[in-house]
Amino acid sequence: METTTISPIPPPVAAHPLAAVRRYFGRWGLIAALAALPIYYGISDLTRGYQAGYVAGHVVMHHDLSKLGFNFAVGLSNGAIWALIAIGYTLVYGIIELINFAHGDVFMIGSFTAVGLWGTLGLGLTTGALGLIGGLIVTLIITMLVTGSLNVLIERVAYRPLRGAPKLAALITAVGFSFILQNVGLLWRGGSPQSVNDLIRTQQAVFTIGGVPIQRGYILAFAVMIPLVFALTWFINTTRAGRAMRATAQDPEAARLMGINVNATISLTFLLGGMLAGAAGLVYALYETNVWYFQGFKAGLIAFTAAVMGGIGNVRGAVLGGLIIGVIQALSDSRLGPQWTEAVVFGYLIAIMVLRPRGLLGEETREAG
Amino acid sequence: MSELRALLREWRAAAGKRLPPWSSRALAGFFIVIGIVLPFGFGSASGFMNATIIALAYAVMSLGLNIVVGFAGLLDLGYVAFYALGAYSLGWFGSGFFFKAQVHVLVSKVASTLPGVHLNFILILIAAALICAAAGAVIGLPTLRLRGDYIAIVTLAFGEIIGDVAVNGQSVHVGGGMTLTAGNLGISAVDAPYFPGIGSFGLLDLRPWYWLIFAILLVVLFVNLRLRDSRLGRAWVALREDEVAAVSMGIPLVKTKLLAYAIGAAFGGMSGAFFGTYYTEVNAGQFQFGFSIFILAMVIIGGLGSIWGAVVGGMVLGYINNYLIPDVLNTLPSKLGFNFQLTEVEFGIFGFLLVIMMVLRPQGLIPERRRRLELTAEIAPADAQLAEAPGTPGGAA
Amino acid sequence: MRRTSAIAALAAVALAVVGCSSSSSSSSSGSSSTSSSGGTVDIYSSLPLQGASTAQTDPMVNGIKLALSQAGGKAGKWTVNYQSLDDSTAAAGKWDPGQTAANARKAATDPKAVYYIGEFNSGASEVSIPILNQAGLPQVSPANTYVGLTTNLPGSAPGEPQKYYPTGVRTYLRIVPIDSIQAASDLIAMKQAGCTKVAVANDKEAYGAGLATLLELEKGYYGVNVVSDTGIDPTAPNFRSYASTIQGEGADCFFFAGIVSNGAVQITKDVNSALPKAKIFGGDGVCTDSYTAASKGGVPASIDPLIECTVATQDLAAYPGGKAFLAAYQAKYGTANPDPYAIYGYEVMKLGLDTIASLGAQGNSKSAVLKALFAIKARNSVLGTYGFDKNGDTTLKAYGLYKVAANGEPVFLKTITPTKTVS
Repeated sequence: METTTISPIPPPVAAHPLAAVRRYFGRWGLIAALAALPIYYGISDLTRGYQAGYVAGHVVMHHDLSKLGFNFAVGLSNGAIWALIAIGYTLVYGIIELINFAHGDVFMIGSFTAVGLWGTLGLGLTTGALGLIGGLIVTLIITMLVTGSLNVLIERVAYRPLRGAPKLAALITAVGFSFILQNVGLLWRGGSPQSVNDLIRTQQAVFTIGGVPIQRGYILAFAVMIPLVFALTWFINTTRAGRAMRATAQDPEAARLMGINVNATISLTFLLGGMLAGAAGLVYALYETNVWYFQGFKAGLIAFTAAVMGGIGNVRGAVLGGLIIGVIQALSDSRLGPQWTEAVVFGYLIAIMVLRPRGLLGEETREAG
Repeated sequence: MSELRALLREWRAAAGKRLPPWSSRALAGFFIVIGIVLPFGFGSASGFMNATIIALAYAVMSLGLNIVVGFAGLLDLGYVAFYALGAYSLGWFGSGFFFKAQVHVLVSKVASTLPGVHLNFILILIAAALICAAAGAVIGLPTLRLRGDYIAIVTLAFGEIIGDVAVNGQSVHVGGGMTLTAGNLGISAVDAPYFPGIGSFGLLDLRPWYWLIFAILLVVLFVNLRLRDSRLGRAWVALREDEVAAVSMGIPLVKTKLLAYAIGAAFGGMSGAFFGTYYTEVNAGQFQFGFSIFILAMVIIGGLGSIWGAVVGGMVLGYINNYLIPDVLNTLPSKLGFNFQLTEVEFGIFGFLLVIMMVLRPQGLIPERRRRLELTAEIAPADAQLAEAPGTPGGAA
Repeated sequence: MRRTSAIAALAAVALAVVGCSSSSSSSSSGSSSTSSSGGTVDIYSSLPLQGASTAQTDPMVNGIKLALSQAGGKAGKWTVNYQSLDDSTAAAGKWDPGQTAANARKAATDPKAVYYIGEFNSGASEVSIPILNQAGLPQVSPANTYVGLTTNLPGSAPGEPQKYYPTGVRTYLRIVPIDSIQAASDLIAMKQAGCTKVAVANDKEAYGAGLATLLELEKGYYGVNVVSDTGIDPTAPNFRSYASTIQGEGADCFFFAGIVSNGAVQITKDVNSALPKAKIFGGDGVCTDSYTAASKGGVPASIDPLIECTVATQDLAAYPGGKAFLAAYQAKYGTANPDPYAIYGYEVMKLGLDTIASLGAQGNSKSAVLKALFAIKARNSVLGTYGFDKNGDTTLKAYGLYKVAANGEPVFLKTITPTKTVS
């Protein structure tokens, strides 16, 4: 129905006074919810103290923040792994508005590939340091290529034919592929978690800061994540292909009109996301010394929570979200008990959805505002 | 190909015109009779009967999810939560789990001597439906302002939380030495259904179980058919198609959406209670995310939004999962020279089915009329008045 | 409604087609001759044949088949048709309740079935015993140790064991001593190893949780200080927070009550990282090479010297039929040192065959076999002489303590016969 008035397009969010209050409350409410755990346990550690050992029949209580610091160290390193996976989710969602359910399982395939390559390259517990580093770099490169190609393949086979179809169809296809990949993992290494060699002695402390032992695993996680994130950000911001990605994310039709090969750009996005997931898979295998065919599903949910928390479509947000979720997990593991950690993380996801669906760093959109 | 389809449609329409008006009712009655006498054709405890009972229970569950995802268009990926709550309703109110209580209502003589809460199965069905309806409304609340993908994630999160509570409920004490759930140990030896006059169902004769679930299916089908053609059903479809337009036409958004969640959940709970008593135990390991996808696959493969599609989808996947793959075809790969059994690739087969369905026939086996219009270019002559303006973003198949 | 009629017709046709096709069992049948003397009886075994438990169940099935082949595939005048059923699923990697129930129902509705060997996991038996009880089918487990299945000793849940026997008649027996004895043996072993503070972790299943509970209940009898009993999530990627918690408790010994598939290897690795000198103990659920041998997916070889575990099997050479069994097993399967559970598979099948044979013409009657089993008071077997008490529990009361050899396999250390257990 056509109107004859030339009123401006109404703002996407109603200009209701309460809405402004809700938005303010939403952002600070979320930050308060996130900070609640560390602050509470920090204060509790300082005042009530925590049991740090047993010497000659007496409980040794400490009253400092080093246990909290330890939680943070563990959390940030785990979070670095989730950040790498979350970037894949956020890139894909930003460009084609699809939750790539199979992304977590691509991460799992990355882990499995890495562990398989260790066997092929002969990396074991007795390999010398130089051989180990060389072997791991080769593993990293090959794994990233494998998972990147896998992601591109999935996009080509499953998502591209359904680009015009309702969103539900693509989502279901993603779930279907997730199941297929899980079955591949199941046949590859069986149904129970499999212990793998602790190649880099991941729990060995390298140095100590303020009573918190900094283990090799933490350094590994950040040594892989930081360069990759920088490289990706540089790529998106400076190169032509990166500009094409940003343009397609903003408006695919206009990008096509400007001469950008949208199909190739989307494939490139999937390639980059898959490569990061592969890197995360290798780090996970080295860090946890344990792989499982179902790990991708779990990691995928956590990483998606992280991406949403940071603001979907936003790479910096994905990294921030990943780190935050990692810390929440570590605190929950250590203080509440590991059996409740998953419920806590999902509780936070629901809190985000209620308080601030666009996440911490996200922009307001018509749908999710 | 489309000419052949048009020809078939014409024949069907012509044949339909020649039948008397009561023909569809008679046909329905005929199939109900077939359903009732079916067990007499098979062994009373054969693998086929077992698979049929499970398939019918899945059909009930997929009818429930069909209301949420199909009618109201709310993508719910956490439906396993209602299966869990339904099964636990049975575990709480139909077994010796709460051993400090001594509540017996219309149960068999044997069960009335046992400690715990023992209610008649019909009462438990009602309790399961009510509990799940309440839970459905609670789960639906945060999703009211969100759109499709986010609803999926939030419902998935709720499903996982309920799964966690099921596992960890073992350590949640509710007083008197009793815990909330039995986690992975499972609430075992739950009551079998008991009807005064018929007695308690045994574990060896599957026929009473079959008739029970068949009766439940008929009731749920009836409710679904009435809902679809009711004001509420039409409100759901309106919300699904265009929320803004629906709201501006006066449809109460919150109430309609919450009712969709609640009613869909109630059916899931009823089916969950039946599963709990049929499997004779309620074990937290039964409530995994994969189950939600399984039920969603039934609805989608059957045809989103279509009642008969949900039934067919539920039964087909139930048979494939519980009969075809483990019993009939399990040794097929080894016969072909491979080193694995078919049950090991069950996951993959389901994933493959989902992908194939979405790529080839996204409207499902028995599409709902509107969906067929959306997703394909066909417009049957009888549906001409339902046709929307050309240029809908369909044409995927 | 016209469309629905067409679909319903199609569905009915499909049902008919599917229903008429024969269903094959997911199993392998044993030897069955076409001799015309006497009829056939069916014997079923239901064990987890996928996942980490196969390290124990594959040798068990081998033992079963060895006993059957030594008897020529017959029990007296009856020809035995043996089916090995799998109660595990690939997705779970261990036993599954739905699959267990399906196996039990299959055997329960078979009129020719007279003997059911199963289950391996105590939690699985909780599912199958009620079903088989209703059919009156004798069930003998070669490995279940949870006390609540046959007794109401401390450590069992309220309502046990009656809730597993809806007919009121016992149909379940087992040839391994129950966990009240195993827990006492473990406590003795830990005391002898010099443990001052023991941290226990259990996998929250019937067997693991039950064993951990009994350790707590019996610790006072042997003066062992159990400082904590924690239920763990078997699928957690690591257990470092648990390890640091018990490090804070000052534990010097760690006991894992559970099966290998439930994170046993990972938790041991993490505990060893936090407490490199702590000794590691386990029950029969982990006393197998899929836990102890690095090459089979177990813990690294550096941890092996710290491990001790208990299994019902004692020194095979010391058993009356032990040497003969080892020789026959090696001749048929080529393994010189089978898993400790192999001989239990052998004995559980031999028990069934001998009982059926002793009944002569009554050998195909479930109730006769059941009565005969419960009447056994002194049976000479490869495991020595034993009988069954009125609960169906064996009169054997000793456990074997094992340590890990250089090649990663568990080897017998000594026999432990506890004097005091809960009652």
